[in-house]
Amino acid sequence: MYNRNFKIVALAVVSVFFLQTFAQNNWNVPADKKAKNSYIKFDAASAGQGEAIYNKNCASCHGNPGKGNVQKTLNPIPPDLSSIGTQSLTDGELFYILSSGRGLMPNFKSMLSDEERWKVISYIRSFNKGYVQTLSKFDPNKAKLIKVSTNYDRKTAQVKVDVKVNEKSGIVALKNAEIGLFVTRYFGKLQIQKNQLTNADGQTVFDFPKDIPGDKTGTVELVVKLNDENYGEIESSTKLQLGVPTDKPALTDKRAIWGTLAKAPFWIILLYLAGVFAFGAVLLYLIFALNKIRKSGSNKPQ
Amino acid sequence: MTKQSKTDKITSDLLRPIRLNWSFKIWFGFLGLALLVCLGAYGLQLKNGLSVTGLGDYVSWGMYLSNFVFFVATSLIGMLISAVLGLSGQKWAAPLARIAEIIALAFAAVAGLVIVMDMGRPERLLNVFIHGRVQSPILWDVTVITIYMVISALFLYIPLIPDLKICSEKLDVPPFLKKIYKILSLNWEGTIEQKKMIQQSTRVIAIFIIPVALAIHTVTSWLFANTMRVGWDSTIFGPYFVTGAFVSGTAAVIIAMYVFRKNYKLEEYITEKLFDMIGKLMVLVSLIYLYFNLNEYMVPGFKMKEMEAILIRDLFSGNHAILFWSVQLLGLVVPIILLLFKKMRKPLPMLVIGFMVLLGAWFKRYIIVVPTMEHPFLPIQNVPQSWKIYTPTLIEILVTLAPMIMVLMIITILAKVIPIVSVSETLEHLESVEQAEGELKK
Repeated sequence: MYNRNFKIVALAVVSVFFLQTFAQNNWNVPADKKAKNSYIKFDAASAGQGEAIYNKNCASCHGNPGKGNVQKTLNPIPPDLSSIGTQSLTDGELFYILSSGRGLMPNFKSMLSDEERWKVISYIRSFNKGYVQTLSKFDPNKAKLIKVSTNYDRKTAQVKVDVKVNEKSGIVALKNAEIGLFVTRYFGKLQIQKNQLTNADGQTVFDFPKDIPGDKTGTVELVVKLNDENYGEIESSTKLQLGVPTDKPALTDKRAIWGTLAKAPFWIILLYLAGVFAFGAVLLYLIFALNKIRKSGSNKPQ
Repeated sequence: MTKQSKTDKITSDLLRPIRLNWSFKIWFGFLGLALLVCLGAYGLQLKNGLSVTGLGDYVSWGMYLSNFVFFVATSLIGMLISAVLGLSGQKWAAPLARIAEIIALAFAAVAGLVIVMDMGRPERLLNVFIHGRVQSPILWDVTVITIYMVISALFLYIPLIPDLKICSEKLDVPPFLKKIYKILSLNWEGTIEQKKMIQQSTRVIAIFIIPVALAIHTVTSWLFANTMRVGWDSTIFGPYFVTGAFVSGTAAVIIAMYVFRKNYKLEEYITEKLFDMIGKLMVLVSLIYLYFNLNEYMVPGFKMKEMEAILIRDLFSGNHAILFWSVQLLGLVVPIILLLFKKMRKPLPMLVIGFMVLLGAWFKRYIIVVPTMEHPFLPIQNVPQSWKIYTPTLIEILVTLAPMIMVLMIITILAKVIPIVSVSETLEHLESVEQAEGELKK
């Protein structure tokens, strides 16, 4: 019995150990992503900006690099990013890990722009004295040449996104650019379908749902996020009348339980004040009574 | 024995404990040292924040909040004994009125502090007053507890006025203390008008304190019941809490009765008959509380709604089962059965039962607060085990003990400066008995 238990425990310990090492090392970064380099120079300025982003988004789990204050209660334990294990990865691998995330590590692709993510890596690299950067030849200014037009076809209920580039040689269609379509809501953006690639004419089409609420006139704000290998990323927004006209009063307009003090329901104010006034009246009576006791004692002829 | 000698004996018996002696100094010194250690633990919590406790994202209300509910509950006893029994003409309870009021005042005064101890940033308490919303049960709670404290203090003070006069005349204390007694006794001469005023105002308080006391514990229960959490989302939480409060308060009074009787040698005033009566009262309030427990657990246990079933299973046969059943059986069912026997309604057995009930009452609050917090509606995912199951830390336990020590200190001091059984009322009682006897002889 003892022997059997021992074997089970041993097997469990070994397998947990293996799973953990396996999980930590195997990120399966594709070769092209691994070779990717930053177009932002890793210097004191970019590292400084990266530090601010790092402290806001990464430090709660990874701690401050080199300080050993990572969140040890998590499983797996997040690595200290100044460690050799992290620093021996390529810039491309770091960028991929940061962008895609896995398990407890969130993906930052939707939260941070390309530029912000590279700045975080610049900050992480600032802890590696022997690091020499290989700059990418990519020119982020080329993003300015892109022109996005977004149109809605009421018959087919589709949103057509058309991407052109204003090159010196003339206007050309941008093909194979990754396009994401979003609608602005109260809290953040709602994505419409999955990201798509533009075709040879620089176009892509999204089926737009008919039940998205808009403002009084049905206007909604569409946001197109574009990401391209050569031109970088841009975001363009358009207001179009393709939602359901909606005119609802805000939940905080009327007096309600969830309102601020100024918007409290009358009945609750009355009940509360009635209680407090009743106490005040009793207190006044008692003070009066005590005073009377004191006075009647001193008035008595000795 | 002549009437005068009887009066002198009663006065000297009841005033005798009011003096400094070694046992008091040692006891108070011990309390002081213990409090210092606990406050040291609180200092660590102030410096490092609530991370020194076992509290976290899921169980954000742990021992501290259980402690708070326990304190508010125990303070309700003043209202039950002095007001409810007094107004309904239960004369036997009169000698207990002052003990009950002292307990009520001590627990109510410290209950507010317990809440502050639950705050990582106590200075933000000011925000309740600056940005308080009249819709929030938290504001109601702060309001009613403050009102109850003031009213309880007056309920203790006003019937005490004649005794303060006796203290200033009969006590062998330094002149400045005599002066304080004299000032507080408000020129008491025992005139008809003064007696009438005391009687009237005591009656007004006795009536007013009933809704206030019901309010403090009902509002405390609403801090839980006004949410949708499983185990708290219950319409009977108000009366359930109030009846539970009478159980823990009666237990506290029984313990205090025993201690004062022994230490202050008051066997003639806190009689065995009194223990017998309060034992019966204990059975009554415990049976009512048992009835509410049956409703609170049996009804959801019968329906087993999806989320509620998880909590019920946890309580009945899961992680909290041992604590749950110990509290229900040892803290409620067994005491009821024991107290049905006359032999058990003697001082010493009642002291033991009182401790069982009081301990059970504290852990009952824990069983109400913690298991629900461990079962939120949204599933807990990807967090370490220690976040899912609440385990209090040593610092947390010490900080929880601090208010209990403060309560003992307040009770000790009050019982050292005022007679814990009313002298004037005992004398009046003697007079009325003799008058009745005299009329019989005629």
